[in-house]
Amino acid sequence: MVEPVNSSLGKMLLEEVSPVVMVLCTPLVEETFLKNGLSFVETLKPFCNFNNIDVPVRTSGDQLYRLKKFTLRLFNASDIKQPNVEVAKQRLEHVITEAGEKVFDDLKSDPPQITHILSDPESEIAPTWFQYYNKELIRTLSFSEHEAFDHPVACLLVVSSKDEQPVNKFVDLFNTNRLPSLLNDGVMDPKILKHYLLVHDNQDATTERTSKVLSEMRSTFGNNECNLLCTNSSKEGNVEHQANPWASFKSSVSANKLGCALTGDDIVEIKDLMQEFTSRHIIPHMEQKVRELNQQISATRKGLRNQIKNLWWRKGKDDVPDSTKGSMYTFSSTESQIRILGDYAFMLHDYELALSSYRLISTDYKLDKAWKHYAGVQEMMGLAYFISNQSEKEAEYCMENAFSTYLKLGRSGFQNATRCGLWWAEMLKARDQYKEAASAYFRICGEEPLHAAVMLEQASYCFVLTKPAMLNKYGFHLVLSGDHYKNCDQVSHAIRTYRSAISVYESTTWSHIKDHVHFHIGRWYALVGMHDVAVRNMLKVLDCGKQSKATQEIFLRDFFEIVKKTGMKHEVVGLQLPFINMSSLQVIYEDHRTYASQASVLVQESIWQSLEDDIIPSLNSGKSNWLELQSKLLPKKYKESNVCVAGESVKVDLEFRNPLLISTSITSVSLICELTSNSDDLTVSKEPSSLSVGTESSAEHNQGTTSGFSSFTLSEVDLTLGGGEKKMVRLTVTPSEEGILKIVGVRWGLSGSVVGVHYFQSTPGKAKTNKGRRKNKLTPTDALKFLVIKSLPRLEGSIDHLPEQLYAGDLRYLVLELKNKSESPIKNLKMKISHPRFVNPGNHEEEVTTDFPDCLKKGHEQNNLQRETSSVFSFPKDVSLQGDKSLRWPLWFRAAIPGTISLYFTIYYEMENVSSIMKYRTLRMNYNLKVLPSLETSFEITPSPSRLQEFLVRMDIVNRANSDSFHIHQLSTVGCRWGISLLERVDKILPSKSLLPGQALSCHFMIKDNRKSGTEEEKTISNPPSQTDVKMFSQDDDEKLFDIVNSPLTNFHKSERSCQETSDQLSTNTVDFILISHVAKSSNSSGVADIPKILSHHSCHNRIRSSNPLSWSLYGPRTIYHDFSTSLCEVQLKLVIRNTSSGLSSVSFNAIDCLPDAAAPAPSSGNQSGWRYVPDVTEEMKLTSDVMGSRLGKPPSSMESSPPFIWSGLSSTKFEIPPLSTTEVPLQISVFSPGIYNLSSYKLTWELSGHEDASSGTCQGYPYYLTVLQS
Amino acid sequence: MIVCVSVVGHQNNPLYIQSFTDADDALKLHHVVHCSLDVIEERVNNPKTTLNEAFLGLLYPTLNYKVYGYLTNTKVKFILVTTDLDVRDTDVRNFFRKFHAAYVDAVSNPFHVPGKKITSRTFAQTVSNIVGSYGLN
Repeated sequence: MVEPVNSSLGKMLLEEVSPVVMVLCTPLVEETFLKNGLSFVETLKPFCNFNNIDVPVRTSGDQLYRLKKFTLRLFNASDIKQPNVEVAKQRLEHVITEAGEKVFDDLKSDPPQITHILSDPESEIAPTWFQYYNKELIRTLSFSEHEAFDHPVACLLVVSSKDEQPVNKFVDLFNTNRLPSLLNDGVMDPKILKHYLLVHDNQDATTERTSKVLSEMRSTFGNNECNLLCTNSSKEGNVEHQANPWASFKSSVSANKLGCALTGDDIVEIKDLMQEFTSRHIIPHMEQKVRELNQQISATRKGLRNQIKNLWWRKGKDDVPDSTKGSMYTFSSTESQIRILGDYAFMLHDYELALSSYRLISTDYKLDKAWKHYAGVQEMMGLAYFISNQSEKEAEYCMENAFSTYLKLGRSGFQNATRCGLWWAEMLKARDQYKEAASAYFRICGEEPLHAAVMLEQASYCFVLTKPAMLNKYGFHLVLSGDHYKNCDQVSHAIRTYRSAISVYESTTWSHIKDHVHFHIGRWYALVGMHDVAVRNMLKVLDCGKQSKATQEIFLRDFFEIVKKTGMKHEVVGLQLPFINMSSLQVIYEDHRTYASQASVLVQESIWQSLEDDIIPSLNSGKSNWLELQSKLLPKKYKESNVCVAGESVKVDLEFRNPLLISTSITSVSLICELTSNSDDLTVSKEPSSLSVGTESSAEHNQGTTSGFSSFTLSEVDLTLGGGEKKMVRLTVTPSEEGILKIVGVRWGLSGSVVGVHYFQSTPGKAKTNKGRRKNKLTPTDALKFLVIKSLPRLEGSIDHLPEQLYAGDLRYLVLELKNKSESPIKNLKMKISHPRFVNPGNHEEEVTTDFPDCLKKGHEQNNLQRETSSVFSFPKDVSLQGDKSLRWPLWFRAAIPGTISLYFTIYYEMENVSSIMKYRTLRMNYNLKVLPSLETSFEITPSPSRLQEFLVRMDIVNRANSDSFHIHQLSTVGCRWGISLLERVDKILPSKSLLPGQALSCHFMIKDNRKSGTEEEKTISNPPSQTDVKMFSQDDDEKLFDIVNSPLTNFHKSERSCQETSDQLSTNTVDFILISHVAKSSNSSGVADIPKILSHHSCHNRIRSSNPLSWSLYGPRTIYHDFSTSLCEVQLKLVIRNTSSGLSSVSFNAIDCLPDAAAPAPSSGNQSGWRYVPDVTEEMKLTSDVMGSRLGKPPSSMESSPPFIWSGLSSTKFEIPPLSTTEVPLQISVFSPGIYNLSSYKLTWELSGHEDASSGTCQGYPYYLTVLQS
Repeated sequence: MIVCVSVVGHQNNPLYIQSFTDADDALKLHHVVHCSLDVIEERVNNPKTTLNEAFLGLLYPTLNYKVYGYLTNTKVKFILVTTDLDVRDTDVRNFFRKFHAAYVDAVSNPFHVPGKKITSRTFAQTVSNIVGSYGLN
């Protein structure tokens, strides 16, 4: 903490609470001094401050002390009056305006950083003009009636030697009529020390007259009171002073002119005069006066008796109404005398005496309710406590008291309160109580805005100085102060305060406040004509998404207005409107990989790579690609850049987001690029990104425009973003020359006069590019760097009429169209398709001539040649593309399964005139399809119980489509093994012929294994055994059947087979069906765009299902004629057993010789035992006729009780049947009499082994009727 | 009447600030809240006194407002600006307790990013309910 005396308040007090000398001079004196550009008072002023006057003083006590620092205040008599309030106000305003003009130039610089502010020394934080302002403010209160330190202590009478009758002039000067009214009114003591000064102008007065006048003066006024001052010794009047003493007092005139007629000797003379006047006259006079007053007051007021008397006397005046009028106390009243004593003692630095006097008087004033006087005394007490470094608390209490008392007086006291507050604040500051000082400043703000502004600003600086700094409050008070300045049109001050406030808010996230500050400072800068700075500040407001819509509109409107006023294009780096989402940055370019469509670009690279593994040359085997090859050919510096081809555009996808609620239109969005020729490594030509930018700031990217043509072309996009809208923008750059292409950034225009620029590398680590994924080592900047190579042929491909949505099973004929626009041919075309199940390339270029579905029908010449199914399809060697010729290649397409399917095609091709870097390229195509479910079929095949080679097929069809109904056309079995025939007419069960959505249908078919047709003994089905197709509706006779062995269907079936394979165990005993249907023409409201012409459903690996692993059949004669008289009849039979299971089966055959009594025939027990003829039971014959048909023979001729037949061959045997094979077991029976016999009395017991589901069971034999007739 | 409540993160970043006045004085209230952070800082960093509860009490009386503060264990500050001139501390304490609970609920949301503004509509609703219930008293 500084010594109170050396603190700024101490200095201020020394200056302001110091003796006043009234100066009375004749006009001629003024004239003399005006030659120097100064008035008389001004001339003397610099010499009134004494730093080491060293005068011994003894006031009340016996102790002598020496005054060191001392100041005199000189005033012209005319100025000794209370200043006019209005004039004072104007002067204060002028001070502020002047200061504002001074700071004006600084406003252009960047705002101070908060760290700087905090590290700055105390004195530099607040502008210096505050002190000056405060001083001026305090001066507006000088010569107040309730204080005595402005009372003139002495009077300096000055007469020029040129004056007529100088001695009389002296008398005239002190004529009471001309004295200031304050002296005449009795507020001030008119009996003051007088000093007479004769001024001699060396330029135009004679020395003789002067000396004569001086002697006359001395005789009249006394020797000591008269002095001579010789001035203007320089005849030419062109003296220049090194350190001009007046410069700091009067700044308006050029400082060099001041005191031009005064030589160094003159100045020394003035100095000596003042020193002498002070030390010889003023101080001793004051000293004496203090002593006098002290004695007088001690006599009347000190001591217990006097005090009681005083108290009592004052009590008597209680009923006197409050009076604030100064006339209450004249200078001669005891109260005023005490006050004068106190002030004199204060001015003589005898603070003890001052304090005791003030204390004495303050109670009096209080009792008298003379509040203004009371407050004034309290104020002085506080200052005395402070400067004598006594009790802090007392000092503060006094100041507080004075302050509140002044405030109580209302408007009249406010000015005094202000001064008191200023002193108080200074006092607190001197004691490092900055926070309290700030609140003191805050309390003296008052209503007048300009005054408040200054006070608030001072308060704000206190907050910085607080330890720890209260920056938020600092900012807030600056903002408040700025607003007040603005209200008083002190724009430059307003800007100054807001500028400082920015530093507080800049790093915070209090966007509401930040926007306010930036917006207003921007507007104010525009007011003072600094448009560039204004724009800079306004730019920060543009990202005001959180503000209300109205506010945003105001912000934008003002911003554009200011920009318009600047009259030039502004290029703004990092413009926040719109916001660019860097993470959305995607670079799409084509090196050896070319893409047919946008969709194919977005496909993950790994999918393509796995697809292309087989077809790209083995030279770049494995994961590595052309980059390795390239590394051998290229300098290392290019190794890491991407490669693109001249003439082919590099696309950049970038997302723009409008942060505002109001829609914004953005014009000519384009990339900023540089293309460096790589013919030599030096940068040869730097191409500008765009040719139309007019501001200086873009100059660095504008180099090289002189060449007049651009080596690349840029696309420009205009777009309008609604409130909060996001839009993806596709920007392209197409290099036309070889070299290194760098994408530097993006630019866009906003409202015609603002150009926003965003440099990509400014946000490293953010840009994630599509290609960056591939080479993770690349930095984003590298990802935006391209090696442009010579123009190469580029294949374009498309598939015509590929629908996006179609039904499962839809079979189509499509055409792949390939085009190479460049002149150089390409060759060695290869294609690979990700889903061979869906797409099958045709064999010849444009092979199909007839209409599509018909060409698949039987009767057309078809090439049934089956190509070896390889995953890579190579186009014929002679296919080469060039120029405008296009290659149309047929593709068969079949929607195999329902769902969403992405089809990937990649076409590999080689260039004929090869560039060194790229030998081949690939074209990638991607199509996404939605396959809707249509018909769903399931087949159940069960062995026919009656025939070993025949099977019953039940086909269940469900229409799963939502709206379309389907026509079933044909069912075919694949291969020639199985013949198929219809068991019942579908027309009967489905008269409408079309299957409605959701409808299910079951049909029955019979299939027959043609492979072993030779073993059958009879054919009951009319179809020829080789028929593999069956038409479902017989009416459609005109339509031919589809030939399922022609190429597309077979190929698709093959892939279906491989796809539908369930287990790896191949079973040969399966049936594959193909169901061919088409959409019923009646409905067209489906989601499928074009009606499919033909649908094929493939159902593969349908296995014959049976609970029994065995199927068997007994073969033998049906009717035998035998002569039983000779012998019994032996019949040879054959049991053929087939193991239909997949496991090894061991089967045991047991014949049962039935030995029941003949009286118990068992028709009721079904066919379990042998059946004998019962002659009288005709009803029973009818009963059983259902089962046996009408083939009963004639009744047996005799009835015997012996068993009708016995198993005479082996009656029990056990054998093993390997899976899916057949065994024959020879059997024999012996028949003893003619009759019809049911040979079902045997059992087959099987046991399945060698398979995980080992099981066993017993089967009863099937009925087999043998008729034996007597021959 | 409670005119403004706010949540300020431990780096003095505003997480939530809501005024409950009809007048367009959002900016003023923002400033008031922002300034009161200085006072909280001062209280918290004052070595002489130790804080033994979250409630910080009256931060500072401005001309028209009273500002109360509350500091959570995670150094998140709650600030309440009221125009009531005679406020009982217990009321304010209660308010902050409820407010704290609402805040904890809001930041427990797995979709809330710590240190980012609280955008939960439920939180806003809860807060305005709490404020409403105190406005009647």
